[in-house]
Amino acid sequence: MNSLQNGAFDLSNETTREDFNLLLKALDASISGIILTDNRLPDNPIIYCNKAFEIITGYDRSEIIGHNCRFLQKEDRDQKERAILRDAIKNGKNCVVDIRNYKKDGTFFYNELFMSPIKDENGKVNYFIGVQNDVSLRKKAEQDLRKQQELMEKRVAERTQSLKENEDYLASIVQTVRESLIVLNPEFKVLSVNDHFLKTFKVTTEDTEGRLLYELGNGQWNIPALKELLESILPTNNPVEEFEVEHDFPYIGKKLMILNAHRIELEGQYKDRILIAIEDITDRREIERRKDDFLSIASHELKTPLTTIKGLVQIMQRMVPPGLDEKFSSVLDKTGVYVDRLNNLIAELLDVSRIQTGNIELHKDLFDFDKAVHEAVETIQVATKSHQIKISGSTNENVSADESHIVQVINNLLSNAIKYAPDHKEIDVYLSRVSNFVKLSVKDRGMGIRVEDHKKIFDRFYRVGDIQQRFPGMGIGLYICDQIIKNHGGTLWVESELGQGSVFSFTLPLNKHAA
Amino acid sequence: MYTKTILICDDDEGILEMLAIILEGSGYTIIPVQNSLNIYETIEREHPDLLLLDLWMPVLSGDQVLRSLRNNPQTHELPVIVISASRDGQKIAEEAGATEFMSKPFDLDFLLQRIHQYLN
Repeated sequence: MNSLQNGAFDLSNETTREDFNLLLKALDASISGIILTDNRLPDNPIIYCNKAFEIITGYDRSEIIGHNCRFLQKEDRDQKERAILRDAIKNGKNCVVDIRNYKKDGTFFYNELFMSPIKDENGKVNYFIGVQNDVSLRKKAEQDLRKQQELMEKRVAERTQSLKENEDYLASIVQTVRESLIVLNPEFKVLSVNDHFLKTFKVTTEDTEGRLLYELGNGQWNIPALKELLESILPTNNPVEEFEVEHDFPYIGKKLMILNAHRIELEGQYKDRILIAIEDITDRREIERRKDDFLSIASHELKTPLTTIKGLVQIMQRMVPPGLDEKFSSVLDKTGVYVDRLNNLIAELLDVSRIQTGNIELHKDLFDFDKAVHEAVETIQVATKSHQIKISGSTNENVSADESHIVQVINNLLSNAIKYAPDHKEIDVYLSRVSNFVKLSVKDRGMGIRVEDHKKIFDRFYRVGDIQQRFPGMGIGLYICDQIIKNHGGTLWVESELGQGSVFSFTLPLNKHAA
Repeated sequence: MYTKTILICDDDEGILEMLAIILEGSGYTIIPVQNSLNIYETIEREHPDLLLLDLWMPVLSGDQVLRSLRNNPQTHELPVIVISASRDGQKIAEEAGATEFMSKPFDLDFLLQRIHQYLN
């Protein structure tokens, strides 16, 4: 390049021809298509193209020279880029466009066309240089990327919508439940509460959310039992269920509540949040109490005339003159039996109701177990002519238990022994002390119980099938006995075989520390 | 011959009648009282040897009556058999100072046996 001096050609130099060829070779070596058009000729035809232009377009040089560039657009003339080109040509300016072109074989390609005017000393545009690159791959990548982005955006929008719907759905469930719900952060600040909470405790969202639980409503939630639950029990026993709290609220009065509390242990944004569900059982308890009261009164009122009937029947039995028909005595005896049965049913109804509502009240006192058993047996023996009850053994212990309930169990076991062994006169009661328990057994020589029924007879309303006909009853006596003994921390069980009599036994724990 | 007197206090007429029949038949003198309000005057006037006392009565309940009797030196030792259909009767009766408790409905033979025991 000897004719190139300081960036300009010295055309007087002898080496110009050589340099010119060198430059043409350089142009042919370019991977970008390069053309020259002559703006002075009609329709601005191509007057030069390099090798790369031939390769990009697939046309031979002879098919290119003389054409306007637009021949590469074939029929695809409706492109906004053409206006840009036209404008640049008219005003003699540079421009870059990505224009849709077609090769000789019809293959489509994106042509990135850089166009630059060449002006004479008067500023008149004589030529244009066009530099072109096949950017189809880049364009495709761009388009793919855009498509991907659009797809992603659509998916994100869908997912967001779905999450929002899900959240609304869950929120509507939370707002609909008839139980109060509170969410606390680890510092016991209220994050949210549901509508039922607001209604039950007569507060607004503003009074509640964002505030510390213990400070709500002038400290009315500063409840020692709740504090204990949150600060001592929940950190070690998660979750806590059925935690009963009673509290007198300043405005809404005394509330009895059952709480379930759950601390979120999962890692993430919700970690250590505390969920509390509060069930207000104030009214339910009150209804249960009224039902128990009602049944107590009803049973008392039913038993009063029954007492008179029972007494009158017994008076009649005493007044039967000698020599009267046997049938007369028999009818009276039966009347007495059914009066007793009615009395038991009334008592059992009250007991079952109390057990079901968990209100079986135990008034534990220390009493002489052997003495209580002897008294109970004596009471039954006086009224029972048909059977002989024999007591053996002793515990020599005082037990801490509800005497009337324990006597009830003994009465029930003895009545059963009498009822289910009509043809065998002897009933044995054994007393013993076993380890730290007192044990009482009632043995009859009656019909016995099949092994498969041993557990079921303690179920509520269970009656052994073939017994139903001959020995009517509701099937709750043993259920009540079992519940009473369980409530005392003891066990009630049976050992029996069909036709071999039965032994019902129960144990009661001796608690030396209890008063 | 001097017969022992039993005062029966129960708001239920049927029970009073029934007890009167059996106890009179057994040779006792019976004073039936349906209203516990005037019971102290009756006791002072009649000096019964034994009291059969119901618990649930209007105005003045059996245990209230019993507590007053136990606080009075003249009736402090009076045998009182409490008869009640109340589930918690035994506890209430014992705490109030009953000599004996029997739940309604009771067995007449058992009642007679006990009364006989206290009066002889």
